[in-house]
Amino acid sequence: MKELLLEVKNVVVEFQTEDEVVTAVDGISFSLRRGETIGIVGESGSGKSVSALSAMGLIPSPPGRIVSGQITYHSKEKGPVDLVQLPADEMRKLRGNELAMIFQEPMTSLNPVITCGNQVVEAIMLHQKIKKKDAEQKTLELFKKVKLPRPEHIMTAYPHQISGGQKQRVMIAMAMSCNPNILIADEPTTALDVTVQKTILDLMLDLQREKEMSILFITHDLGVIAELADKVVVMYKGKIVEQGSVLDIFNNPQHPYTKGLLACRPPLDVRLKHLPTINDFMEVDAAGAIVEKEQTVNEALYHAEITTEERKQWHTELYSRPKILEVKNVKTYFPVNKSFFGKPTEFVKAVDDVSFDVYEGETLGLVGESGCGKTTLGRTILRLVEPTAGLISFKKQDITALPANEMRALRSDMQIIFQDPYSSLNPQITVGEAIIEPMRVHNLYKNDKERKEKAMDLLRRVNLTEKQFYRYPHEFSGGQRQRVCIARALALSPHFIICDESVSALDVSVQAQVLNLLNDLKKEFKFTYIFISHNLSVVKFMSDRMIVMNKGQIEEMGDADDICDNPQSEYTCKLINSIPKGRMEDIIRSIENKKKLAF
Amino acid sequence: MLKFIIKKIVYGFVVLLGVVTAVFFLFNVLPGDPAAILLGQRANKDAIEAINKDLGRNRPLTVQYVMYLNDLSFISFHNKNNKQSAFYLDKDKYSYKYAVSLSDNDCMVLKMPYFRRSYISKRKVSEIISDTLPETAVLAISSIILATIVGIFLGIIAAIKKDTFFDRFSLVLSALGMSAPSFFVGVIIAWLFGYVLSEYTGLRTIGSLYEYDDYTGEKYLSLKNLILPTITLGMRPLAIVVQLMRSSLLDVLSQDYIRTAKAKGLSFYAVITKHALKNALNPVVTAISGWFAGLMAGAVFVEIIFSWKGIGYEVFDALTKNDLPVVMGTTLVFATFFVVTNILVDIIYGVLDPRIRIK
Repeated sequence: MKELLLEVKNVVVEFQTEDEVVTAVDGISFSLRRGETIGIVGESGSGKSVSALSAMGLIPSPPGRIVSGQITYHSKEKGPVDLVQLPADEMRKLRGNELAMIFQEPMTSLNPVITCGNQVVEAIMLHQKIKKKDAEQKTLELFKKVKLPRPEHIMTAYPHQISGGQKQRVMIAMAMSCNPNILIADEPTTALDVTVQKTILDLMLDLQREKEMSILFITHDLGVIAELADKVVVMYKGKIVEQGSVLDIFNNPQHPYTKGLLACRPPLDVRLKHLPTINDFMEVDAAGAIVEKEQTVNEALYHAEITTEERKQWHTELYSRPKILEVKNVKTYFPVNKSFFGKPTEFVKAVDDVSFDVYEGETLGLVGESGCGKTTLGRTILRLVEPTAGLISFKKQDITALPANEMRALRSDMQIIFQDPYSSLNPQITVGEAIIEPMRVHNLYKNDKERKEKAMDLLRRVNLTEKQFYRYPHEFSGGQRQRVCIARALALSPHFIICDESVSALDVSVQAQVLNLLNDLKKEFKFTYIFISHNLSVVKFMSDRMIVMNKGQIEEMGDADDICDNPQSEYTCKLINSIPKGRMEDIIRSIENKKKLAF
Repeated sequence: MLKFIIKKIVYGFVVLLGVVTAVFFLFNVLPGDPAAILLGQRANKDAIEAINKDLGRNRPLTVQYVMYLNDLSFISFHNKNNKQSAFYLDKDKYSYKYAVSLSDNDCMVLKMPYFRRSYISKRKVSEIISDTLPETAVLAISSIILATIVGIFLGIIAAIKKDTFFDRFSLVLSALGMSAPSFFVGVIIAWLFGYVLSEYTGLRTIGSLYEYDDYTGEKYLSLKNLILPTITLGMRPLAIVVQLMRSSLLDVLSQDYIRTAKAKGLSFYAVITKHALKNALNPVVTAISGWFAGLMAGAVFVEIIFSWKGIGYEVFDALTKNDLPVVMGTTLVFATFFVVTNILVDIIYGVLDPRIRIK
């Protein structure tokens, strides 16, 4: 056993809101040893980020405050200190030096007007008192160590000039710059593609081994930390409901919430009718107490499974139906360089010669990394972006040449649900109004009273209550907002819906609920979906057939199960391999690996 | 970047051409006979006709328009010999440096724009402008400097001390400064500091940048006359800068990269100066440069109240006397100012924000 580095004891953090005091963290205790990785898992609002920020002394105060408890840190120089009581300037010497942190949003976590190099140089010079030239040399070495391509170039580049994955590498370089004892990583890969996530996780593991650093890894997805963590702490509503070794948690989860988190991830190896959710394992009664339902993870998955026979039958029926959408040789180019007179001279080929059909009632999955053209393709189909060339016909009607007013009428039949439920609702408009508005625009129903009835009905269908009709978007959680967006798309009774990364911004537990909802609604209203996502396991769960896109072109197209079981292209293999699956054999292998390296 | 600037300049010229056209046709359909104004009491039919001929007003409007453009252009075409021609190269009108003969009669000339002459004082409009423009420019520049320095400073303090007494107090003051019209504030300030308190302040209610000594008649620089007009003119931009700086800094302080800076272990002071300020200054500096042209044109009221002999004062005077060439000339100068500052703002934006620079 290595020595203790961090002991958190009975920490309580409260936030003062306008009318009440909210307890964000409610008496948590855990400890971290040198070289150990602890995964803190929980849904948004469970207090996992606040716990990490309190260890860094970064809780925004006011309104936040550590009410009681101790966070004992065993410092290299100072010996054991209580981080809760430490004066601010003492804390500052530890922060960024012995305790480092990387954040969820690499896109916004770097200062846009300072070069990447200088931001790291600044951190080094602050704590190490060396010359600027040496600090620059050190930064360059760090950039090489975190495997940034062309490190000399990135020294002088501004954050907007490099990709999201590269930004996160710069953040890691910054955090590693003073060889911290503890690295706190707050959802460092959530905003990244799975393929990039994999490389970042591998990098963190390598660095940890080399420096014997401890990591606190915060995430909402148990799968991400399966091969990384030694210990797992599960948080729910500010409390730790379960903690134990990663093997115990995955093999024999005790708390129903942990079971729910394990079961709600869309699996790659089996085909499910619906995803188990937290609610299949527990309920919260009126008094706020958790009532457990007797069920194991495997039982829940077994009940949800769909047989090959059932699926075959459904597909025979499905593919005898007429095609609802035909896409032929569609190209969408964006000009990047224009001549002096505004004539484009250079293009980005976002969608490059893509053809496919969609049958009535089908769910067609569209998967690929960010920048592969999947979103542009989705928008081109709705003509939110005009195609450069090609043919798109919807219900046997060519829509590429349709005049604007006819296209607008057609849009009531073709809807899109966007990625970000936070920004796609107008904060000034009540949720009810947001649902009624499209009906009014398209002159559906006789009057506002009937429209309101319909909107109420839709709210019920997406499992919200009628009371929430009068609420504003900020009063809703991310999952609830996405339900509102779904209800708004359904308001026009469309036949064809494009879901563009509709669940990517949500926690896995919420994601499962929304995916189930989309499937239930599809059965009820006989929808046709195009489901776009960067997450192959989510796409696989949803789709009948699947298209893998890469660099604007179709890499592979076919039955979703076939592609996952037997991928033909190298690119698809890469996508599948980079998904954190959380399988037992992977966890055991990684534990064996760690042991081997320790000797 | 160079391509971008050239493009902006070309657009600027098109805008200016539009302004010239609008100004020309607008003022030519206005009622009033310039010849009658020029002659005043001495008007008789022959004299009026002679003047109309000299101004080209007996020709069709389109010819007059081409004449006007030719007068304004830096490069113009003229007839050397025929005094009856609309384009006769009159040494009285044009102060040209270089002339290139194109044929026996015609020549091309490189000259300063000719804004015609005032109907009233008979002086060249370009002379009037070059006399009064510096006075207005000094006033506008000193106001903008006042607004920038004091405004940014107060805005930063208000943002850092958010929700304290100082913050609320400065918000109330700036709301007041924004809503009070300058002609009203000007009168109050002139009365209070230039009259009631003049014993203590030593200031006067009216006065220009240059004054003439009562006895010797010598011209001298009187900087203290600048104080009150500067405060009056700078008050509104000052109030806006305070609010803009405050909200911009507060916005920046809530960004993720500020949290990153804190996580590095930087002190509060370093977080503000090294990370927050450069981001927060962007919109403020851009807005300030954009207002400069507006201040030049907007100085009219302030100049009248303080009898500041600037270009605004001149425009007001010309308007009351129907002195069209002066009005037209100054309008064009203001328009040019707007176009030039807009180009500068675009360039400043690129310098401050690398995200815009690259494109």
